[in-house]
Amino acid sequence: MTDLAHLPTTRAAPADTPARRTLRFLLQPAALGLALALLVAGLLGNWFHRQASAELVADRQARISILEGSALADFVAIQVGANPEDQAPLQQALLDWVERSPGDDDIRVVRLGGARLLASTHPADRAGELPRRLTREEKWLFDLGQELRAAADTNASEGVFRKPQIEVSRPGEGRIRVTVPYLSDGQITGFVQHDRPLPAVSPLRAPLPLALLLVVPLAVLWLAALSLNRQGGVAAGAGKWILFLVAVGLFSIAWYLYSSRALEGLGTLADEGQSAVAEAYQELRSRVTDSDAAASGPENPWDVDVFQRPRGLLAADGSPNADAVRAAADSVQQPYTRAMWGNWVLGLAVIAFFALGVARRLRETISEYRYAYLYVTPAMVGMLILVFFPFAYGIALSFTGQTIFNTNQPLTDLFVGLQNYRDILGDFDVARHTADGWAINYQNFYWTLFITICWTVANVAIGVGLGMVLALVLNTPGLRFKAIYRVLLILPWAIPNYITALIWKALFHQQFGAINQGIQMFGGEPVAWFDGVFSSFITGLATNGWLSFPFMMVVILGGLQSISADMYEAATVEGATRRQQFWSITLPLLKPTLVPAVILSVVWTFNMFNVIYLVSGGEPAGANEILITKAYKIAFEEYRYAYSAAYSTVIFLILLVYGVFQTRMTRATEAVHT
Amino acid sequence: MTRKTLTLIARTFVTALAGCLVAASAARAATELTVWHAYRGDEKAAFEKVVGMYNAKQKDAVVKTLAVPYDAYADKITASVPRGKGPDVFIFAQDRLGGWVEAGQTIEPIDFFVDDKIVASLVPGMMSAMTYRDTVYGLPLNYKSIAMIYNTALVKTPPKTTGELVKVAKGLTNAPSGRFGLAYEYSNFFFHAALMNAFGGQVFGPGAKPTIDSPQNVASVKQMLRWYKTDGILPADPSSTLIASLFNEGKAAIVFSGPWFLGEVQDKVKYAIAPLPTVDEAGGKPMKPWLTVEGVYVSAGSQHKEAAYAFAEFLVSTEAAAVLALEGGQLPTNKAVYADPRVMKNPTLQGFRKQLDTAVPMPNYAEMTLMWSPVTTAMNKIVKGSATPEVALKEAQATVTDSIAKLRKGK
Repeated sequence: MTDLAHLPTTRAAPADTPARRTLRFLLQPAALGLALALLVAGLLGNWFHRQASAELVADRQARISILEGSALADFVAIQVGANPEDQAPLQQALLDWVERSPGDDDIRVVRLGGARLLASTHPADRAGELPRRLTREEKWLFDLGQELRAAADTNASEGVFRKPQIEVSRPGEGRIRVTVPYLSDGQITGFVQHDRPLPAVSPLRAPLPLALLLVVPLAVLWLAALSLNRQGGVAAGAGKWILFLVAVGLFSIAWYLYSSRALEGLGTLADEGQSAVAEAYQELRSRVTDSDAAASGPENPWDVDVFQRPRGLLAADGSPNADAVRAAADSVQQPYTRAMWGNWVLGLAVIAFFALGVARRLRETISEYRYAYLYVTPAMVGMLILVFFPFAYGIALSFTGQTIFNTNQPLTDLFVGLQNYRDILGDFDVARHTADGWAINYQNFYWTLFITICWTVANVAIGVGLGMVLALVLNTPGLRFKAIYRVLLILPWAIPNYITALIWKALFHQQFGAINQGIQMFGGEPVAWFDGVFSSFITGLATNGWLSFPFMMVVILGGLQSISADMYEAATVEGATRRQQFWSITLPLLKPTLVPAVILSVVWTFNMFNVIYLVSGGEPAGANEILITKAYKIAFEEYRYAYSAAYSTVIFLILLVYGVFQTRMTRATEAVHT
Repeated sequence: MTRKTLTLIARTFVTALAGCLVAASAARAATELTVWHAYRGDEKAAFEKVVGMYNAKQKDAVVKTLAVPYDAYADKITASVPRGKGPDVFIFAQDRLGGWVEAGQTIEPIDFFVDDKIVASLVPGMMSAMTYRDTVYGLPLNYKSIAMIYNTALVKTPPKTTGELVKVAKGLTNAPSGRFGLAYEYSNFFFHAALMNAFGGQVFGPGAKPTIDSPQNVASVKQMLRWYKTDGILPADPSSTLIASLFNEGKAAIVFSGPWFLGEVQDKVKYAIAPLPTVDEAGGKPMKPWLTVEGVYVSAGSQHKEAAYAFAEFLVSTEAAAVLALEGGQLPTNKAVYADPRVMKNPTLQGFRKQLDTAVPMPNYAEMTLMWSPVTTAMNKIVKGSATPEVALKEAQATVTDSIAKLRKGK
């Protein structure tokens, strides 16, 4: 490898011309870092700004549409209530409504009972007969209505708001469609769908032009570098730090100006949105005169969210509620501010990466070992896709509140921060004192952790102990049929472990299991193995002991055979007993083989899903669950995916700490040996 | 590698590619529907025959079947359909329906397609298993429920009431020698539900509100304990394999189990099927086992939903049901098929058909899955005597209520 890596580094040094010197000056690390930081921060900032503005605009459009849709639903409910049989007045009223709108609006009224289209202003429907049954092409309309009705039912019966009761969608470029159910006699019987063009939105301007953002700070930095060169007498190391600090300062100033301008722009946009909504409301109120009765009080009945809860931004008379409006604007600006702070930190990291010379060193290593990097690339890509991506996804999932009920929402909408970790680690309700003594909460994380540790320690002890004894026996010189014994003893390892686990489960059956039959044969009482916490633990231990000793035996046997017989001869000559030989020769010389095997075995046992899941199943009452089976049950029996992801992450962290600790320990033992 | 082999490989590749293209262009003529099922053996053969009948009958669609192993089935649907992959039509029991509807983008609502004629052609009550929040999501195809299966050598006339049952069973029980008059998985809540329903209990009230510790449920559990503890007619720790071996050895005279059990009965054992008895202690109400109904669902991601629905309609027709029943040994939901003389002669089909009159569909709420683990724990505790029915069910109720609250998070 090394001769490969060193081959291409011999290259002729380029001649030093004035042009090259200028280029080197312009592209010095601090300038490069600043330029990249500004570029990244500017592009990301623009992107965040675009997102935030788009969200504000979309929110405004949705609000106006819902306002009008809700007004229409009330209007239709009144019309249908007044004339349940004859739909001609409704059709006429809708045609009048559409007449007054500036664009080409379409309104459909569908009754769910009988899947009937009661009225429609769609040109194609206007020509045909109305009302009529929906056609098969219009099935989606019916399904949509059913969905909204079921959503309202669900929310009402569960007392939580988790399903949208109004649908807002964008059927095409520049159009918005809102579907609002209408009630008759307190029941949802149908819906109104309003499809209309969106008013043009003025194109968005970036808070600061990117060119300006780049050029000015860079120019200042070059001036600073120039004056630093002129002055002379500054050590190269100090110069690097001075330029780094200058770059950081320039970047921070540019960033501050950019962010404050962007926030100001967002604020203006939010205000414009408020007044547009208020204006739309005033216009609607003048249209639907019947609803004047409801036009008082602090809450506007039409300005609602998708769960049909009043937003509280607009009073019934159309005046905005200042506090609520500010809170709403904050809810858009705050994430943006947070994103911008993230941006700032990222920019600083970029500057530090270049200005402090990390980039140069990285480039040198890569070019020096380019073949080595080339060879590991395929493996790295594979690892990235197969290991790191799922891993990162799991960790991202653990910060959300995803359950089966909201898998269709994007993860960013479900962000809950450290809530899951707080719930897992902050719950100390392990044991409680009750009238009949201490009651242990078996669902608690710390109990499960305790069981997992007991499980791991006990299993490794049994595996190593049994493996050691058998290996020592098998290593007896002159033992006959050694090969047969060895094959027989390795068999438990060769059989798939779930088969073994199921056989052991059957052995522990209370009435018909072989173990209880044996106990009864000697006059004992049958034991209900899976009823007690301890006896149930024993079932898992027995099974896993059976599964794990062959591995240890093979490893130890290998280690034993590598110990030279001379040692024992010398010890015998010196008069050492067998026991002394074991403690002073066998055990120390086994350590290098034993330690890695134990480390591996600890990790395997810690996450030994099959045995626990199949043998005791965590009985009784989940008391013998280990962390990994618990995580499985949370995800696939309780459907709380995010919580389970957090649980798994905690398991990972525990094993990580153990791994780091173990590596230290191993290094220590290696040091003893070499 | 010689040049010759290389040419050979290239030529094979090109031929294969051409073959694929030809196949693709041929398929474009008719709509191609993919249907997933988890059938094996006779059930699979019968199902494929029905699909063949459909393909021969009409020219608009070509249906292809794919047998997916049962263990992976539900997860495969959950993972693939919402991402626009997977089948056009799939068949699965109703217990996952609620979960799939809640997750969204999995099952197409078919209310719009279903007409009264189809509903009238099915055994009454079956549609409720396919309905979630008042919307129909599938057509019921087959059902399974437990019934009374008895060894005709030991029991001449099947008991009609629990009083008779206990009397007959006591006469056949000899616990020390491992003989029991009655055997069923009484600690498994699915089997216990028959008794629970007789007492008027249920696990979920309207709106998926858990009612696990209701007085009716407690009373039903006490009845079960009476059989196990006081009357001593039931074996301890009953697993399905244990029950099968007891029945095969003639050591269990009466078994409460479903059609799946019959496959495990050895030929030497002669058995008959009768409905579960009425419960004297519950005022003579019959035991009402939970029905699992296999539904045919149109996948939300299908490009050919109307064709898919047409195929689903064919699957529940009398013509298809006769094949499924006679060759596949299934219990179709089609009403007319039970009047078919060949089906009339089949004692198994008729036996389970009689049970159907009192069976009730198992709830299809998404929350059902949260119930199993706590309720199983409670039943085990009760059977082992480590908690009274009241206390154990109350604990289960608290656990289920808590996990449901955690699952449903409002905005």
